[in-house]
Amino acid sequence: MADVETLSHSGISVHDLKEAEDFYCGILGAQVHGAVNFVTEDTLKGRSVHQSYTLGDFLFALVLAPDFMPMPPADKLMGVNGFRHAFAVRHADFDATIARLKAAGVPFKGPVGHPDKGPFGESVYFKDPSGNFLELLWRRDENVDYAKAPQLDVG
Amino acid sequence: MIDGFSHIVLHVTDLDRSEAFYRDVFGLDVIGRDLVADEGRNSLLGTNTRQRVLLVEVPEVVAIRPNSSSIHHAWLLTIDEFERAKDRFAAAGFDINDSRAQFRARGENSVDIFDPDGHRFQVQAYSPAATEVIKENTGPIACGHMDDYAVGAVKAFVKGKFFLVRIEEGFLAVSRWCTHMNGLLSWKQEHWHFYCPMHGAMFNRKGESLPCSRPCPTLRLHPVTIGADGTITVDPDTAIRRDGFDPAQVVPAKAGASSRFPETALC
Ligand code: FES
Repeated sequence: MADVETLSHSGISVHDLKEAEDFYCGILGAQVHGAVNFVTEDTLKGRSVHQSYTLGDFLFALVLAPDFMPMPPADKLMGVNGFRHAFAVRHADFDATIARLKAAGVPFKGPVGHPDKGPFGESVYFKDPSGNFLELLWRRDENVDYAKAPQLDVG
Repeated sequence: MIDGFSHIVLHVTDLDRSEAFYRDVFGLDVIGRDLVADEGRNSLLGTNTRQRVLLVEVPEVVAIRPNSSSIHHAWLLTIDEFERAKDRFAAAGFDINDSRAQFRARGENSVDIFDPDGHRFQVQAYSPAATEVIKENTGPIACGHMDDYAVGAVKAFVKGKFFLVRIEEGFLAVSRWCTHMNGLLSWKQEHWHFYCPMHGAMFNRKGESLPCSRPCPTLRLHPVTIGADGTITVDPDTAIRRDGFDPAQVVPAKAGASSRFPETALC
């Protein structure tokens, strides 16, 4: 047993909230979860203005970057920025998922196969419009009944 | 399309050092080395759910992108795990005070921890205080004469933590404790609603959740009594839970009127 239940959310930065919403909701199927601190006095108190999304069981807080974040090179689809979020799709849906990325004109790398001894099957790697790295994969353990994350509704 | 979150990849400059940190300080389980095709030597770690953490060794790490802010990842712990984690963090030399304590709802526990490469983590846990019904044992609060409240008025009481609301039909004493997680609501006169600065819930003057990103149960009420002389008394030590607004909850602006609620609604 680990001494950590789960990862509940991440805050990442984007250049444009509308562009991010179109990408996460339109292409990946995320749901808008919350608009936080869209009130002037909150901003004046130093709270961050952000919009949050749920993608599967994960909460993303998309925070506006205060200045232009340097973008990774266009052909760089993995690495550079220090972290990447990976979402699982069912093995049976994997090809349809790739077709969906293609149809939406999202450049991606892969599919890349993982070693048989590990839990992951194959991955594709891509970026959101602000250069945050993402991954979609199917997992060999997709039918294992893992503990569920405690219900949490914050962010 | 998406079946759920699978894992987060974190780039690190020294795999041994980081694996030890994520295992011993954060408390994750080490699953194994090089189980994943990625850009460098890697170690896969596990939480108590399906979610995994993949540490990948690279020569150089930019943990926070330049000109961005607020980048962080949050572990969710049970409150017992949180107490143990705080001891480990303190032993590892971290400041375990919450740097953003003023922005937290009651029962929301959080500390910020940076890993050896500067990746920022929020470690959070919720205690039962987040959702308990709070009572301050103030005793009944005198709220002045009913004629001093114009229709539409909302007066916030600091002692007892309630709003006395005068709507056309009469009076409601609405609890200021947010039904999401005990944030303290404020009245936004310019928008005609109650607002929770914790996670953005909004409620109308009757205490109903407004169409917003955070639908919550209807706000609790407190009993209102209007004396023979027209003075109003509110008892914040009695809370009334409700499923929605019902006109019968309103106390008419008449001498001698008072709230009536079924026994089962009291909490
Ligand atoms: S405590 Fe979460 S919205 Fe009020």
